[in-house]
Amino acid sequence: MSEHEFHPLVKQLLDGDITLAALPPELRAEGQEALRLLAAVDRTPVQLLAISQHVMQKIAVRPLPERSVWRRVVAPREVRLRIRPWLLAPALAIAAALILFLRPAPTAAPGSLITVRFVLVAPDAHEVSLAGTFNRWDAHATPLVRSGPTGVWTATLTLAAGQHQYAFVVDGVRWVPDPGAPAVDDGFGRRNSVLTL
Amino acid sequence: MIATLLVIPLTLLGMQQQDSIAARLAGRVTPDVATLVQQLSVAASARGLPVDPLIQKAIEGSAKGVPAERVATAVRWVAMQLDTAAAALREGGVVTDTLVIAAGEFAISAGLSNHDITALARTGASVAALTVGLRVAGTLAAMGVPSAENIGLISTKLRSGRPPGDLLLVPADVQSEIARGVTPAQAAAGLERAAAAQARHGPPPGRDNPPPHPPAPPHP
Amino acid sequence: MRPEPEADGEIVRAVLAGDRERYAQLVERYRDRYARYAARMLGSADAAEDAVQDAFVRAFDQLSQCKEPDKFVGWFFLILRNRCFAERRRSRTETSLEAAETVAAADRTEGGAETAERRRALQLALMALTPDQREVFVLKHVEGLSYGEIAERLSTSVPSLKMRMHRAYDKLREQLREHT
Repeated sequence: MSEHEFHPLVKQLLDGDITLAALPPELRAEGQEALRLLAAVDRTPVQLLAISQHVMQKIAVRPLPERSVWRRVVAPREVRLRIRPWLLAPALAIAAALILFLRPAPTAAPGSLITVRFVLVAPDAHEVSLAGTFNRWDAHATPLVRSGPTGVWTATLTLAAGQHQYAFVVDGVRWVPDPGAPAVDDGFGRRNSVLTL
Repeated sequence: MIATLLVIPLTLLGMQQQDSIAARLAGRVTPDVATLVQQLSVAASARGLPVDPLIQKAIEGSAKGVPAERVATAVRWVAMQLDTAAAALREGGVVTDTLVIAAGEFAISAGLSNHDITALARTGASVAALTVGLRVAGTLAAMGVPSAENIGLISTKLRSGRPPGDLLLVPADVQSEIARGVTPAQAAAGLERAAAAQARHGPPPGRDNPPPHPPAPPHP
Repeated sequence: MRPEPEADGEIVRAVLAGDRERYAQLVERYRDRYARYAARMLGSADAAEDAVQDAFVRAFDQLSQCKEPDKFVGWFFLILRNRCFAERRRSRTETSLEAAETVAAADRTEGGAETAERRRALQLALMALTPDQREVFVLKHVEGLSYGEIAERLSTSVPSLKMRMHRAYDKLREQLREHT
């Protein structure tokens, strides 16, 4: 491999730190070879005239970039959940309180199991299920159960300590992140909810 | 020479592991996506990166009915974020394992930068604690806590030497503060001040982490 | 009196507030800025077009995570960079086919066929480097940045960049000798 290595001085030439004249005579040929290498660099500017239209076409159908899950709770826009304002507070209270209640002792070891209750208020939905990293994102595997006319859907799962992502699937087709949980970009233009146990 | 380079990664990922990857993907993703995931898994495994996030993302995209090409892009993106996380962790002096790299990848997907990852790594926390710290930091980012306050709070917690399980309480604490009306940034900054004070002076009198009381169920 | 061109930060904030059409201004402004970098990193203008396009779409999706909207272009560069690095190692046949495309265009350059051939050979040799090595070479010798500027942009040190570059020089020499 050493026969392919440029002499350190020639590397300085390549870096532009010294000139060809500064090289000792025995390195001149190698120096010229190095400069020929650099002369072959293609610095032609590249123009991408067509992409503006393509980019704008692609983003036309994407949701607007928005970060805060709190904004979503106040103005839910993408799902027909029709969460009426007076229902919001109890829904949050349910979600938040249950997570706290079911929280394990602070020294939960990895590999321990934790019981978590998932809740979604969706009075107009006909079916709601839960899909996530814990059930291979199978939209049919974990249906939630509706309790009466108020439209509170619930499921209780036992999960391993660690990191999980999930979303609710409403009426089999609409993927909805949990309004009461932090959300991250799923890489497909939607958001997943995060559960850190 | 190129032939030798191709042979080495395949032997690093045992046949058994390749079979189990194929089994997890079978029937859940298109053959093209499965092949891509297998290839990326070989390369990832050779670099000490976890393979699970790649498989999860492929299955997720397919389950959501996303076109195969887009699933492939997303899986490549996860692979790239795994590399970024691993590099950021090593930059911070961590001897990485697959769990901490996966946690770093999650943090990046939640919006943290490689600098944020390195900053947390430089707290010198154990790999186990850092893994939890990264998951929690990613969760806080997803809750809208800006990076500076986020990393500040998690770094303080990691340096306090308390058990990693304490970190798991942080998102709920931040959530409670926000419910009282402060911004996510203010919530995190306030908790950091409290944690720093506790580290200096010990816990405030009368508070010794009582178990939370279940509140009365709300009346719909 | 001509109005001042709008700062990037203004446009970003407008898009985040809901005016997605304004994003086109950012695309127009920067679509060619890193096109050459992408083309040299990926081996062809076609691949660069895909990469830059994907990067703009990705930047839109993640726009709320742009911490300093006034420095959009630097943040965008990192997204494009990640996209370029995400291209998996391609087979030699694929790469040589694409490099051949650029030859057809390069025939029209001054110096003619011989220059075009040398450029093709170097681009092929570049594709044999690791992405990190190729990148430092492209940023310094194609984009004309100094080591200091590259170090700042990539958040790394000048010595580690030089080490990478010097390995790149040796690999390029080896590749060019083996294939000419």
